[in-house]
Amino acid sequence: MKTLALMIAAVVTGIPVLAGILITLVKALDSGAWSIVLSTPGVWRALELSVATGAVATIIALAIAHVTVALAGPAHWSSQLRAAIVPLLAMPHLATAIGLALLLSPAGLIVRLLSPAVTGFQQPPDWMTIQDARGLALTVGLVVKEVPFLTFVLLGALGQVPSERLMLTCRALGYGRLKSWLVAVAPLLQRQIRLPIAAVFAFGVTNVEMAIPLGPQTPPTFGILLWQWFTASRLELQGAAYAGTVLLVGATVSGLLAGWVAGRVGNAVLGRITASGRRIVRDGWLRNAALALPLIVAVLGLGAVASLAARAGSGMWRFPRVLPDHFSWVTYSNAGSFAGAPIGMTLLTAAVVTLVAIAITLLLIELLEYSPYWRRRVGIAVFVPLVVPQFGFLFGLTWLLTRLRLEGTLLAVIWSHVVFALPYTWGILAGARASLDSRYLLAARTLGSGPMRAWWTVTAPLLLRSMLLAAAIAFTVSTALYLPTLFAGAGRVITIATEAASAAASGNLRTAAVYGALQALLPLAAFAVASVGGHVLFRRYRGVSR
Amino acid sequence: MTSLVLRNVSLRSGARPLFAPLSATVPAGVVVSVTGPSGAGKSSLLAYACGALPTGLIGCGDVLLGSESLNGLPPEERRLGLLFQDDLLFPHLSVANNLAFGMRKAAASPSARRDRIAAALESVGLGGFGQRDPATLSGGERARVALLRVLLSEPRAVLLDEPFSRLDPASRAQTRAIVFAEIRSRSLPALLVTHDAEDVAAAGGPVVEIEPAERR
Repeated sequence: MKTLALMIAAVVTGIPVLAGILITLVKALDSGAWSIVLSTPGVWRALELSVATGAVATIIALAIAHVTVALAGPAHWSSQLRAAIVPLLAMPHLATAIGLALLLSPAGLIVRLLSPAVTGFQQPPDWMTIQDARGLALTVGLVVKEVPFLTFVLLGALGQVPSERLMLTCRALGYGRLKSWLVAVAPLLQRQIRLPIAAVFAFGVTNVEMAIPLGPQTPPTFGILLWQWFTASRLELQGAAYAGTVLLVGATVSGLLAGWVAGRVGNAVLGRITASGRRIVRDGWLRNAALALPLIVAVLGLGAVASLAARAGSGMWRFPRVLPDHFSWVTYSNAGSFAGAPIGMTLLTAAVVTLVAIAITLLLIELLEYSPYWRRRVGIAVFVPLVVPQFGFLFGLTWLLTRLRLEGTLLAVIWSHVVFALPYTWGILAGARASLDSRYLLAARTLGSGPMRAWWTVTAPLLLRSMLLAAAIAFTVSTALYLPTLFAGAGRVITIATEAASAAASGNLRTAAVYGALQALLPLAAFAVASVGGHVLFRRYRGVSR
Repeated sequence: MTSLVLRNVSLRSGARPLFAPLSATVPAGVVVSVTGPSGAGKSSLLAYACGALPTGLIGCGDVLLGSESLNGLPPEERRLGLLFQDDLLFPHLSVANNLAFGMRKAAASPSARRDRIAAALESVGLGGFGQRDPATLSGGERARVALLRVLLSEPRAVLLDEPFSRLDPASRAQTRAIVFAEIRSRSLPALLVTHDAEDVAAAGGPVVEIEPAERR
């Protein structure tokens, strides 16, 4: 049982990831590749841009997420907050970035709202509000996308901490709510979310999804350079991609180490603040001021969604009108004809990925039920693809797929997607399975059911709600994935994600908006189905946990 | 020192009252015990007194310190010390920093604050425990640190929510003696919620029985 489980886990996720990393390392040993990397104009500036945008966005997003959760502290509206976040979480990075590019661009909704009344513009101004050389638009994009994620993670961690009584203890000692949170609750949450923070940082440094529409162009971020090299037809540039990957991953790891040091320093400073005994009792004004931060993020996020929908559904839209001259469903109905094949491919891939990821997860969980040691190890192993920068193993994985003659096939794409869906399905289902009262199963067994029958009659129905949630997330992950689809599919498997990215890369924001809107709609539909399904299935049984 | 006064305090959950309106006066240096069946709302009474009633419960009646009404003030402005059955020491801070957090900001220098913390620890038999991780302390030791943290915040009255119920019998008697002695020596009014007869006997003060509200 245990051996079988470990073999499955190794084949599905361990071997591709490890092989990908090793092959990248071996391929990067070529000195010619390094000389290409180092002689590329602006290469250091590109690396600096990547690390700086990733680091600044992570710090700002983390701070805003803490403020959001602290202000939502009264538990009675944290569940509403959680519900409001899910649609934002489900927005793929690429779709969010395209929407933000539309919102922030000189002809975007923000400038239109202020024109001509405030600005006096009759024409869109000649500003670099997106793709600016310092990467500000990219940083804003990363912050808008990561605040919902970190807030969601923090809310999860909040459940592990007796936050209400800790807050009350501090307040009874005479502290205002903000300092109580900062001293007593925030450090305990912070400890639990180190891994998600590392993932946010690694994504910020290495991403191409947000850098394509929002990031600077000359030089671009380092991730974009790698992407250009790898998709280049010249073979020596592909070699440079391997060497560059090692450089970028090295920079990411150094950044993580620096973050760890900064965390130690922050702890020491917090210790000082804690021990000073200084009390700010009336902190209502500060709380109201702090509320502006999550509000700005929410406005930008919603503005991006609105821009995406409006641009995708608009015909003519003369500046400075706030609303398009007319809305038409032409673009959407036309989407059926020009986007039909990508939509079909996306749905097929996502459906298979969802089924496979859930089946494998459930199988692994049951096979490892009596080996907590290996269950924990497998749980860590499936999370590796989220923390290692995608480039770190995707290039190597592509090389491996080529050798297996799988490159460019749907199977390869599905396999690569499953690797990225497993951490989520595992996270949800392993947790749900562990919190299932084992006495239910014992009861079923003592009533004469064999293990298989007990699973079908007791375990599976009680896990069904979690399975629906896991399915919605796996579906969402698959529709959102761009780089794995591009690499494993060798550019031959065309999905909404690859179409959206290539439209955005060629500067065609209108077409990108249509694909971006589709990319945002599919996950919402998946979550709606999962949520309605969960309610309908067990509406007569209040004892079934959500 | 002033006394803590509850006047006609009652709580309800929706339309259902938890207990009959309750009045009590707690003079300085006296520990008044509140007893009653579990679920009668003893802990909620303390939550109301310190201004942190959980959502879903509605309270009315006056909470006064001497003649000053505390009604409507947030917990941080009431200056009522609170001890739970869990000590709720911050697990990420040393014993000394937990106490430093509780201590009021006097004009004292950092070194004077450190000295005061060391002396406070000494006074309850925990000399030299300052740099310890709270997780390495026994239940009785943690309870004493939690008490010190409350006392260093210079409360005007103390609310005790079954603070000894999680302790093992041996350290329970000792901790109880220390807590009551400190409260008396500082002439603080204290309200103790408990259903342990030994607690009530050791408190030595008047006993208020909570009566469940009559069902209609």
